[in-house]
Amino acid sequence: MAAPTVGIGDAGSTDILYDRSVRTRWRLGFDKWIGWLLPLLFAVALIPIFDLVYYISSQALPTMTWGEFTTTSPYGNGLLVPIIGTFEVMALATSIAVVLGLFGGIATAEFLPERTAGAIRMTANMLVGLPSVILGYTGYFLFCIHFGWGLSYIAGSMTMAFFMTPYIFRIVDLAFSSIPSHIREAAYGAGARPSQYVTKVGTPIAFPQVLNGVFLAMAIGVGETAPIVLTTTESVILPNTIFDPVTFLTGLIWTNYSEGGTLLDLAFQAAFIVLIVVIALNIIVRIISARYQKRLEGLYQ
Amino acid sequence: MSTPLAGTSEPVISVRNLFVRAKKKVLINDLSLDFGSASLTAVIGPSGCGKTTFVRTLNRMVEMTPDLMVKGQVLYLGQDIYAPKVNPVMVRRRIGMVFQRPTVFPTSIFENAAFGLRLVHEEEGKIDAAVTAGLVQAGLWDEVKDDLDRPALSLSGGQQQRLCIARVLAVQPKVLLMDEPCSALDPAAVQRVEATMNFLKREYVIILVTHNVGQAARVSDRIAVLSAGRLVEQGATAEVLERPREKFTEQFITGRIETQAEATV
Repeated sequence: MAAPTVGIGDAGSTDILYDRSVRTRWRLGFDKWIGWLLPLLFAVALIPIFDLVYYISSQALPTMTWGEFTTTSPYGNGLLVPIIGTFEVMALATSIAVVLGLFGGIATAEFLPERTAGAIRMTANMLVGLPSVILGYTGYFLFCIHFGWGLSYIAGSMTMAFFMTPYIFRIVDLAFSSIPSHIREAAYGAGARPSQYVTKVGTPIAFPQVLNGVFLAMAIGVGETAPIVLTTTESVILPNTIFDPVTFLTGLIWTNYSEGGTLLDLAFQAAFIVLIVVIALNIIVRIISARYQKRLEGLYQ
Repeated sequence: MSTPLAGTSEPVISVRNLFVRAKKKVLINDLSLDFGSASLTAVIGPSGCGKTTFVRTLNRMVEMTPDLMVKGQVLYLGQDIYAPKVNPVMVRRRIGMVFQRPTVFPTSIFENAAFGLRLVHEEEGKIDAAVTAGLVQAGLWDEVKDDLDRPALSLSGGQQQRLCIARVLAVQPKVLLMDEPCSALDPAAVQRVEATMNFLKREYVIILVTHNVGQAARVSDRIAVLSAGRLVEQGATAEVLERPREKFTEQFITGRIETQAEATV
């Protein structure tokens, strides 16, 4: 009698532990090599990103001087106005988007009937997928023309806020929806009102993820061009009222990149700053995510 | 028809002709049952018989499951908790619930025990005493009194479950619903939680869902046996377990019925 076989349906071979056929060896080898091949391909895909960072840095850094950050006129080699302008637009846009996204997300996750919530989620997904130039154009017609605000700080910030809102909304909705139902039931079983569940149980659990969503939306917003260049225009000074135009860093790149000389240098410097800000925001997101995972380990057992 | 349990006076909870329907299934079928004061009633039956659904109807927790229809009456001290003007939150503050999985919130032990008190906006000065009282009642005080600021998630499963009981007791309910509170715990923890139940049943109306006949025998005063969403039999624990009137009960308590498909229309 042959040695006992291992495995079902493999009665032909005497012992698969000692299988040395070409086919089996090839298959085992494939598994080994694929573990090397995939990261390699991924590294190849990363080359353009490193190239981009290198190219922008190499163009921006040699011409960059401390003076750029203190000069106010963008036409006289200044970055101070666009940097503060970007900060002002992002501050107003983020505030509006956080309020809208937070209330919308919590309402969708906790209070609205399933059917309505589904419709809202679909709309939000559509807005995220919408080309930003269409949103910019909508903002232009709505705020600049229809409301008569002109190419202004308020029109640009509102359009940017509407651009960022669906990103924040989606993450808030996800953060609250993904809290396990047994935690929700435990709160209600102890006598919590739905609003008390949201403030006392849901928010502390969802907060890190919500914060993440805000930073992510900021990272996407600060690198966006279309909603801004269509709704506001460059200005050599900071806006005095909300109806004055404001310079946004990506707007500066947009208008200057086809020029030459110092204007092109300025565009590269602006691109470098946007790049640094986007990378920094993404690193913040990674750090929050890592902490968040650790903190909630016991909760999702 | 409502059948009061023998030996109890005014029922605290009185279930009358209760039906629960899912889309195509009847989960609870014409169930009538009374629960007297200061006693522990065990609801037993094979899995799928509707005992968890039943206990979730008693404080309207069932409404958190979509697509379930409840018909009939659940009277709490004579008031129908399903009446249109009754707020489910107020129902749940009188009829608290402890679940299968110990679920503490990711805060300190103290904050977990004080959770209910903060919900009802109890004065800050009274919270300390009430937390202590809740933890003593739940049988957890001696183990945690020295480090109430420790994260609640660092407690063992059994301790977490008793903390959940303390959290529910803090809003001073009259009735405590327990849905298989020991099924996720190890034997030593089960013993501690059962000791807590034996202590609490002197003051509260406790309705315990369990699939463990031994546990029902150890802690309950009365037993109700469910089968396919219907009440098969009920009575004093010793009586039901030793001299079951129905063949189904006998088969179930001797371990011959394990599961049961949900009843269909």
